[in-house]
Amino acid sequence: MQATKSFEQAFLKQMLLGIQLSAVSHGSGSLQERKSAIKLSADVAMAVARGSKKWTRGLIASLSKEEQNRSFLQFVLGKEFERPAKICHSSWKIPRSKNIVRRSLRFLSKRKSNIRAPNSSVLAGTLVEKRTQVLKRLVPGGQSMDAFSLLDETLDYAACLRAQVDVMQKLMTTLEASKHRADSDAQRPKEKFHLLPMVGSWYSTRKGLRKRLSKRPKLTL
Amino acid sequence: MSSRRPRSWQSSSASRITDEQINDLVSKLQAVLPEARIRRSDRVSAAKVLQETCNYIRSLHREVDDLSERLSELLASTESSSAQAAIIRSLLM
Repeated sequence: MQATKSFEQAFLKQMLLGIQLSAVSHGSGSLQERKSAIKLSADVAMAVARGSKKWTRGLIASLSKEEQNRSFLQFVLGKEFERPAKICHSSWKIPRSKNIVRRSLRFLSKRKSNIRAPNSSVLAGTLVEKRTQVLKRLVPGGQSMDAFSLLDETLDYAACLRAQVDVMQKLMTTLEASKHRADSDAQRPKEKFHLLPMVGSWYSTRKGLRKRLSKRPKLTL
Repeated sequence: MSSRRPRSWQSSSASRITDEQINDLVSKLQAVLPEARIRRSDRVSAAKVLQETCNYIRSLHREVDDLSERLSELLASTESSSAQAAIIRSLLM
């Protein structure tokens, strides 16, 4: 996939928006809830950053099946979220009936062959067939794709997943680093307060100042 | 190899997909996979590439899952001001 950098930036922006939306930073809710919220932000961000692909549509569709995701999706996607659902309603009928026909045909042909051998299933004949079925389940929206589209979408999906992992990793590193900095900053002000009265008393007497300066190393505040 | 193309890989009625196109995609997929897994030899079977692809996608899913958990812990324990600073810094990267 070309232009990974721009995808990564778009993904990061979208994800940070999503995190703020779900208000994870507030620390409310169980760990599981917060984790799901982050994951949702990440997945939606990935789909939005990529644009319109079969797998992105499949991903949004599977995410919207969960009740708790709906309000977030509604907010982030807005009109985009409404439209596909409407189209789906009318076109769902056709694939569903096709699948039923397909499934019943397979079932019939299975019964026809009537062999009890373990690997004689019509569905998963060759190794490639089996693996293709597994891949279809892994790639969002894969079930309704033909082999060519599946391979094409898999390529794209894998690249985006890789980028998603990389950006999340970078984000975590940055957050960890800033946390360390914040923690160490929290300690330093205390030392400063100790030093200020001492500095004040040094300047009160010149004698004392020279004496004290000779004893103590130079301070840089 | 072309004659033994599995049933589900035969071209749909919509368009004529050539063997070459499919092989091209398979080799592109192979290129995306982490190199340690598959040696870049000329003829790696499609079944192997598919298997490695499935494993790769599954491992990426696990990584995202793990990172989500760690990020949620981190965000909950970080003060919002430093989180915002980190966010700005990330955007500038």
